[in-house]
Amino acid sequence: MIITIISAILILLGVVFFFGAALGIVRFPDFYSRTHAAGKGDTLSSFLVILGFAVYQLKDFHSFSHDWPILLVILKLLAVSLFIFMTSPVSTHALMDAGWEDKVKPEIGEGKPNHLNDDSEKF
Amino acid sequence: MRLSSIFAIIAVVITGGILLYGVSDFPSFGDPKSPANAAVPGSESVSQYFITKSYKDTKVPNLVTSVLADYRGYDTMFETVVIFAAGMAIFAILGSVGGESQPRVQEEESSFVDGDHSRIIVGTTCRLLVPVIQVFALYVIGHGHYSPGGGFQGGVILAASFIIIALSSDLDAALRRLSEVNYLRLACVGILIYAGFGVLCQVLESNFLDYGVLQPILLTDGPEMARSHSMLGVEIGVAFTVTAIMFAIYANLSSRGTLRDGL
Amino acid sequence: MIFAFDIIILVFLVIAAIISLSVKDLLSASMIFGIYGFLICLLWAEMGAVDVAFTEAAVGAGISAVLMVATVFNTKRKSSD
Repeated sequence: MIITIISAILILLGVVFFFGAALGIVRFPDFYSRTHAAGKGDTLSSFLVILGFAVYQLKDFHSFSHDWPILLVILKLLAVSLFIFMTSPVSTHALMDAGWEDKVKPEIGEGKPNHLNDDSEKF
Repeated sequence: MRLSSIFAIIAVVITGGILLYGVSDFPSFGDPKSPANAAVPGSESVSQYFITKSYKDTKVPNLVTSVLADYRGYDTMFETVVIFAAGMAIFAILGSVGGESQPRVQEEESSFVDGDHSRIIVGTTCRLLVPVIQVFALYVIGHGHYSPGGGFQGGVILAASFIIIALSSDLDAALRRLSEVNYLRLACVGILIYAGFGVLCQVLESNFLDYGVLQPILLTDGPEMARSHSMLGVEIGVAFTVTAIMFAIYANLSSRGTLRDGL
Repeated sequence: MIFAFDIIILVFLVIAAIISLSVKDLLSASMIFGIYGFLICLLWAEMGAVDVAFTEAAVGAGISAVLMVATVFNTKRKSSD
């Protein structure tokens, strides 16, 4: 019972972060902040949802000698979340970099420096 | 609206209507009286036979693989040939085969480190991921009997790992690992492995792709295990062809057939 | 097999198919076609055809989107009709 509640909390937390990411994609003003919302929210929320699945697998775990295949399932789920942690930020980075090279205009407040306009400095 | 698009819409509507009319004659989903499920008097139905006998016949737990690679092996062989033909069509259209064979310019191995440090992140992550993807692809190929997967899926994933190399650095880096000559050889070898299993069965005085007679060659206990192992061999042949052709299609499409620079 | 889930995926599938046909930018069209492939993979996995779903995930959502983007990159990006 307690395991079900923990996994439900984790999955719900993940869904909340997913909702935040989706809201960010819709509401943020320019390309960079939208991509930032998608990358950040997706990574953490998929990790939380997968962690919820992994905790839920422990429901049928009674003895190690009999139920050890469940640990393999948990290991696979954690491996999936590890690969999401590796690939999702990198793909966001690649997307942002492509936008930067394509000179997509960021939304910048009055009086702030805009590094996209001066060609000399590129960080 | 232009005249051609009106004609196109009329053609689509008529074709879709004919298809929907045809669907209305289909048996409903999971109908026990449909021809595939219902037994003809005097013999068993097809799906009944596969469900009850396929494990006894082939010792392969995954029913889909045993149907695809054994009972319908001839069909799967020509699916592989279709993929091979698609690759040959790409070569014929983009025209790089036999045209240029000069040696490529050998660059330094790490072509993505020079100055442009935005590519370090992508390149390093891809280098970390590619071995994992390749091991997973080999697992999918070799484990097609026991879990979902098989030659097609594993071959596509293996080709995807080479495509990731090509995307993260450039096409030359991928072609150094699987060169033009080698992927053409690999594609042909895959088809030859599949057809070779069939011809081997014929040599041993049985039907084409009737794997049971391969028992004395494969040294298994019983013709069932011979069928299981031959399915593994056939899947490996499919995987060779699919890997080679998928990578070849990408390499030719992304570089307009010149096999240089890529995207 | 959950019927309501089937219907939801099917609605998204039809929307993705219509958008990928009607969008003018061919790069967006190929991306949305990748989404279509992923949704149909989800539908098949949900209906129990795991082997077909695996093939679709590898081919439809993985390779074919990459091949289409490679083709769009080397031809022109705007659709002519």
